[in-house]
Amino acid sequence: MRLPRILVLGVALAAVTLTACTNEAQQQPQQPAAQQSSQAQQPGGVSGRAVKVAFSAPGADHGWLKAITDNARKEAEELGVDLVLSEGTNDSAGQVSQVESLISQKPDVLVILPNEGGPLTPIAQKAMQAGIPVVNIDREFSSPTAYRTWIGGDNYGIGKAAADFITNELKCQGNVVEIQGVAGISVTELRSKGFTDGIKRCNGGIKIVASQPADFLPDKGLQVMETMLQGQKKIDAVYTHDDDMAMGAVQAIKAANREDEMFITGAGGSKDAMNLIAQGGLYRATFLYNPSMSGSAVSLAKLIAEHKGLSELVEPEVPSRIELPATTVTKENVAAVQNLGY
Amino acid sequence: MAVDTTPPTVDVRARLRQVPVQELVLPIVIIALIIVGVIIRPGVFLTSDNLLNVLTQASITGIIAIGMTFVIATGGIDLSVGSVLAAACIAGGLLAEYGSWMFMFGAIGFALLLGCINGLAITWGKVVPFIATLAMLTIARGLALWMSDKTPISLIELEILQGFGSGRVLGVPVPALVFVAVAIAGWVLLNRTTFGRRAIAVGGNRSAARIAGIRPGRVIFAVYALTGLCVGISAILLSGRLASASPVVGNLVELDAIAAVVIGGTALTGGKATVTGTFFGVITFGLIFNLLNLLNMPTEIQGIVKGVLILIAVALQRRD
Repeated sequence: MRLPRILVLGVALAAVTLTACTNEAQQQPQQPAAQQSSQAQQPGGVSGRAVKVAFSAPGADHGWLKAITDNARKEAEELGVDLVLSEGTNDSAGQVSQVESLISQKPDVLVILPNEGGPLTPIAQKAMQAGIPVVNIDREFSSPTAYRTWIGGDNYGIGKAAADFITNELKCQGNVVEIQGVAGISVTELRSKGFTDGIKRCNGGIKIVASQPADFLPDKGLQVMETMLQGQKKIDAVYTHDDDMAMGAVQAIKAANREDEMFITGAGGSKDAMNLIAQGGLYRATFLYNPSMSGSAVSLAKLIAEHKGLSELVEPEVPSRIELPATTVTKENVAAVQNLGY
Repeated sequence: MAVDTTPPTVDVRARLRQVPVQELVLPIVIIALIIVGVIIRPGVFLTSDNLLNVLTQASITGIIAIGMTFVIATGGIDLSVGSVLAAACIAGGLLAEYGSWMFMFGAIGFALLLGCINGLAITWGKVVPFIATLAMLTIARGLALWMSDKTPISLIELEILQGFGSGRVLGVPVPALVFVAVAIAGWVLLNRTTFGRRAIAVGGNRSAARIAGIRPGRVIFAVYALTGLCVGISAILLSGRLASASPVVGNLVELDAIAAVVIGGTALTGGKATVTGTFFGVITFGLIFNLLNLLNMPTEIQGIVKGVLILIAVALQRRD
């Protein structure tokens, strides 16, 4: 009979905690409702009104996707674009119906970051046929007829740039372990392939002694790294596919007191990673895969709707493919790109 | 003895029947895994360092699995533990500026609160456990993402908390010690207290338990609250290990915990539970992860091995 009373006490304590937590949460900045506020201030839009851009992306359940939607909102507000933003589904079928309802709102341009390129291709083609140009971000549709313009990062380039950096640092001699993202998706495969291709120039001097996926998750990164540290007595560098996941690996290396033996690289360009790079030491580099691309996509959407090209180029139209370089961020240049951190 | 008069085949069968197969399956599997490990990676696998590493890695899921054993003993299920783990980490993280102890208070308090809500939904709301905790799974993950604004919270300043995550006492990592302590406490609670007997009685036959003077609602509420408490402890260890509170941690931990409880010998239908079995179940999965990882096996092989093992272990236990 004593147990329930203890529990009642526990509930009371927890209720206090909850109040504290929600207060804290409310203090955090609210998302701006960009959609309504900026409608009137667009002079040169499509026949005098603001350009209407519909935006669809998977549910923002981690830092990178959250930055994608945030950047799209911010850019739309700055450009005076009327942005209809829908997010929230993490399955392709859900996103298809989401895009269908966006099409029915008759936007001037549709911007899509598909959950998976293949399954979203037919609906994007339908939009194109209905005369709504599609800007495709990041994961590419399976047919070029499904988009007017594609803009994205270079996953193969991340692997290649990481290989260049690591082989230079190690002077083509040493053991590397690789912590991959989710197994079996193109992002992981390309980041892996770019790396294995890149280290070939050392003719076997750089060996990948272990390679395991940790699903882009920090807690799995920690576990996988811990076990690799057990299995490998000499590691010179750790190549990871993601900054968040690399944070878990960093903790494992620190706990094993092997920080001096090796260094680690990330990918993406998160704020935390850039801070560690600026400090110097274990975390030596990351390679940009920047969510700023969604801001650029909104800006491209506006140009397409207005039938304009990129002002710096001679051609009168927006290019059909824009691939962003996987910029190598090290201690030397981190200050210049820190504002892009997410 | 009747050895002389009975035919030898019958004798062997009779003797085999006396062997407690159910309790021996997992220890045999564990010994087999260790032997395989020693053969394949000599000098790496069977070191105290690596075995402590296995115990430490198993601790996060293991502590949750101890709580889950009680839930399953009553014939219930808790699908929400992975999401509640993330929510507890974030709840603590929001109090991080007040120091390590406030973090722990926040994490345990919030996990306990969500566990109590599970308990209330099931007893007072009369929602079946599968649905009630499925709802909590999505609620808690949503809370974790919303409260953190989808961004991890750095806990690098909280040294006491990191001590809990990656410190050592007499050479043994703290999470491993906490896991063993929780397992012992769980064993005592299940086998040596009225609460444990009541949990099993409620799972075995609820009407009979009621006639015997037990109030099933109270017991059921308590096991979900207890699981919440266990999740809170895990949240502290995990955040300490990661030196950050992230809203995406704990993915599919519920399935690992349930699988460990079930291969340990606790019946999903309730009425039969073993904390020792759960402990061995968690260790078995920990060893498999460790071994396949040391061998640099692709992740899909890990999934297949784990699934086949669940099938074999449970099939052997259900033989008679």
